[in-house]
Amino acid sequence: MSEENHHHPAAVSPVERRVAALEALLTERGLVPDGFIEEITHRYESEIGPMNGAKVVARAWADPAYKERLLTDGTAAIAELGFGGAEGDHMVVVENTPAIHNVVVCTLCSCYPWPVLGLPPAWYKDPPYRARMVREPRALLAEMGCELPGNAEIRVWDSSAEVRYLVLPERPSGNEDMTEAELAGLVTRDSMIGVARL
Amino acid sequence: MSTTLSLSELDLPRRNGELAFDAPWQSTVLALAAAVVDHAFGGDREPFRQQLIKAVAAEPDRPYWESWTAALEALVESLPEQRNW
Repeated sequence: MSEENHHHPAAVSPVERRVAALEALLTERGLVPDGFIEEITHRYESEIGPMNGAKVVARAWADPAYKERLLTDGTAAIAELGFGGAEGDHMVVVENTPAIHNVVVCTLCSCYPWPVLGLPPAWYKDPPYRARMVREPRALLAEMGCELPGNAEIRVWDSSAEVRYLVLPERPSGNEDMTEAELAGLVTRDSMIGVARL
Repeated sequence: MSTTLSLSELDLPRRNGELAFDAPWQSTVLALAAAVVDHAFGGDREPFRQQLIKAVAAEPDRPYWESWTAALEALVESLPEQRNW
């Protein structure tokens, strides 16, 4: 074992120090209630994630009236299932069909529908995805393993301050007898961003 | 190095319920931003979002949560020094 391992068992990185300084400053200003950081961490690790969006999609597949409400007023229909809050104030749900494939991007930063998908994956926040999904969506989708029929129209939705998009993927065939919970198990995060089909 | 390197994580088995953070400081800085938005800006996320856009544009290749940290630093900098929250 090298000397270095002994001397730096838990080196604190510069960014960790900056975050610690922010935490100290904001706590001193009374902006961080006791237990708030733990609560947020727990929420994002355990309660908020693509499993929420999967329930929305499964309900839409199983219940045509719900699907209609979802496509008309996404925010309200998603709230019916108990999901909402930060980064989900104005949700718009876009439906994939054999002829139309929807995909979501945020070209400026990383806007993303947190209440139904959780935190964005690393690639969503990276420059190649943010630039190329607008410039050459078909090529990028193919690279990501999402091959589309040549005549399918691709609609790229750029998230903005006000609007967060969720893709309603097409229901795969051969699952007519599945329960809603089983259907939810078919739905992937990537299919709700629009970089995969089911 | 390929610019699509980060896309390779798509190859990993990713289903629902994956871990959201790679390190504790990342969830801390997320929560701190949420606290500032809630308690210093009355729930208005736009000022933070504008800082995040600037931070991402300034160093496009910087790791995401570091840009997030820079954005929060800039936002906190813009707060009045003394105020009764």
